[in-house]
Amino acid sequence: MTELVGVDTAAVRVRGLWKRFGQQVAVAGIDLELPAGKFIGLVGPNGAGKTTTLSMVTGLLRPDQGSVEVVGHDVWRDPVAVKARIGVLPEGLRLFERLSGRELLAYSGRLRGLPGAEVDKRATQLLEVLDLAGAQHKLVVDYSTGMRKKIGLAAALLHNPEVLFLDEPFEGVDPVSAQTIRGVLERFTASGATVVFSSHVMELVESLCDWVAVLAAGRIRATGPLAEVRGTHTTLQGAFLELVGAQGRDAGADLDWLGGGAR
Amino acid sequence: MTNVTPTVVRLKLSLLRNGLRQSGGRRAAFVASAVIALLFAASQLLGLIALRGHAHIDAVAVIGTAVLALGWAVMPLFFPSGDETLDPTRLVMLPLRPRPLVRALLAASLVGIGPLFTLLLLLGCVLSVAHDAAAYVTAAVAVVLALLVCVALARAVAAANVRLLTSRKGRDLAVLSGLVIAIGAQLVNFGAQRLGAAGLGQLAPVADVLRWLPPASAVGAVHSVSEGSYGMATAQLLLTAGALVLLVAVWARSLTQLMTSPDGSTLQAAEPSGVRGRSSTGLGRLLPAGRTGTVMERSLRYVWRDPKTKAAWVTSLAIGLIVPVFNAIRGTGSLYFACFASGMLGIQMYNQFGQDTSAFWTVAMTISSARDAYVELRGRALALLVITLPYATLVTVLTTAMLGDWPRLPDVLGLSFALLGAMLATGAWTSARFPYSIPQEGYKNVAPGQAGLAWIAIFGGMVAAALLCAPVIALTIWLNVSANGDAWTWLLFPVGAAYGATITYLGLRMAAPRTAAHVPEILTAVSKG
Repeated sequence: MTELVGVDTAAVRVRGLWKRFGQQVAVAGIDLELPAGKFIGLVGPNGAGKTTTLSMVTGLLRPDQGSVEVVGHDVWRDPVAVKARIGVLPEGLRLFERLSGRELLAYSGRLRGLPGAEVDKRATQLLEVLDLAGAQHKLVVDYSTGMRKKIGLAAALLHNPEVLFLDEPFEGVDPVSAQTIRGVLERFTASGATVVFSSHVMELVESLCDWVAVLAAGRIRATGPLAEVRGTHTTLQGAFLELVGAQGRDAGADLDWLGGGAR
Repeated sequence: MTNVTPTVVRLKLSLLRNGLRQSGGRRAAFVASAVIALLFAASQLLGLIALRGHAHIDAVAVIGTAVLALGWAVMPLFFPSGDETLDPTRLVMLPLRPRPLVRALLAASLVGIGPLFTLLLLLGCVLSVAHDAAAYVTAAVAVVLALLVCVALARAVAAANVRLLTSRKGRDLAVLSGLVIAIGAQLVNFGAQRLGAAGLGQLAPVADVLRWLPPASAVGAVHSVSEGSYGMATAQLLLTAGALVLLVAVWARSLTQLMTSPDGSTLQAAEPSGVRGRSSTGLGRLLPAGRTGTVMERSLRYVWRDPKTKAAWVTSLAIGLIVPVFNAIRGTGSLYFACFASGMLGIQMYNQFGQDTSAFWTVAMTISSARDAYVELRGRALALLVITLPYATLVTVLTTAMLGDWPRLPDVLGLSFALLGAMLATGAWTSARFPYSIPQEGYKNVAPGQAGLAWIAIFGGMVAAALLCAPVIALTIWLNVSANGDAWTWLLFPVGAAYGATITYLGLRMAAPRTAAHVPEILTAVSKG
């Protein structure tokens, strides 16, 4: 791992992070330093520990061991400083679905202590930009997957965080919504903020990110600028498959009964 | 095709095991509730056998079975734990025919503490009325039939209830089912009171009807054989078997429908819901500013909009009104029954974070200190008080008016408020200490493996609330029995109210640091299901 980043510019600094669920080791000693102001992709196959890692980094899950600092503040010792500076879009957790989109934003913003008028102003703009204005009075329970991701993103952006953590923000999202989300995120990082998002879609990560961390079986396999991680491979997909050790496996070889009509 | 029954039974066993494996506390809670249930069942079994030969034992056995069956019918709707059996809608994508599936799920339903408890009680019932060899043979058949009817009844009701809960129209009806149960429980209560007054002989006419009603008819059959009336016994057994077939058929039908038709999420999308939410700013203006008002507004919206929360509230409101008012109508009730309203509504403070489901993460992201947690909990308690305080007062005044016992009003109100305060305090504390998930799909109110935890939180909390009220209760009794006490009973109103407010404050203060320190653990606990 290369230490390209100075001490002061790290958005996230993780040291010796461990998490076990019973016998299962989900995260096995992660050390990670993510530079500020970048669009960072956390990639890995399903079950690599992406969600677990992001949950621990954002303070939603207590690690067994290790420390996490976000913009210089310890997540577990100084939650006040950290929680005010981060925005989160978790995967697999609900929203308050019995609120309408607008009510959800009003609730999230006020819960974070923003003045009501400011929350309403920002909510109107976010709903407009994310193409949710027409559905703002509909209950979130009636939203589609893409709309849920967008309203979740709006709630995460509302308090103008320094670092934004998004767990699978494009999972199950239609191309139009994906493009909208992308536009908002690109504008956000251009202003100097940091976005950390997890995905297993390599093409997406390759086109969006300028910094990548590859995670497999609870460990970091590679981290650094996109070009560096890609190395000699033409695509990130190729580099990724080699890193997680999935290359040379002929997936179809044993399934000689598959295809060619009914058994 | 392979037999699915052993697979499904094994699946249920692993679900139970895995639910328990997750934490030591949960395991302890489960074991404790199992031991208590089985001890209770065993003592009932011994008691019923000891009563053999008593003049009215047949009536007791028949009615006991009927009450047991009623419990099974009511359990999936009302009680938060109950049957932790498989949710059939999870099996929707598997190519299973309805018949083997129903058989398998019925078999899986027989696994658990509930069925074992029922089996012990049923054994007690049949053994207490069986007097010869033929009766013992009948008893064996009767126990199996009655147990199956109980289980099938619970599953049929549960399946019907899922269907109700998945459509918006049905949800309003499901809310009413709480009312029906509340009234039913009241009728049972009156029955029991009358019995206390007039002795077991009163049971005979009721038992004469119930001995023809499955599954009590199975126990009736055993009694008939003991009496030598074999024809009647055969009819009663056939009736029970017929009921079983009918229940299984009804259940299979709703199960098939449930698994082959679109669920609530699809139906709801078609509903126009554009106007809602616009008028809500009015509510917001009335509430205090800052986090307190924000939390209150969300809590109050959920009382109205979230079907599970709404059903719980309607049930609490209904029972809180029915118990004191019905008792007053009958003229036998005490004014102190009015405290029921406080007690029932105070329950809504329990498992606050579980009511949020995994959406609690939104709250978790904004709790970084004990102060945040305190304001959050206080907001929720205040939202509750907005409804509860006027309601409890209304119920108390209404009960007083019906009984015409106006001089007692201040002490009952005082006691009510003290109890409400104690419920809020214990509710806040158990919310932080024993959070558990409330699955949003289906009829269950507790995720598998957390039932013991839920029982301990609710019942432990209620006992603790009663104990916390002890000083006010003691003062009430003292003022009522001492010579000049009557002149001072008005004092109980301010004392009770102040006591309730103080204890709520202390409860919130104690719960807040615990909540703030365990935010990730609470999130994990409420995110199952």
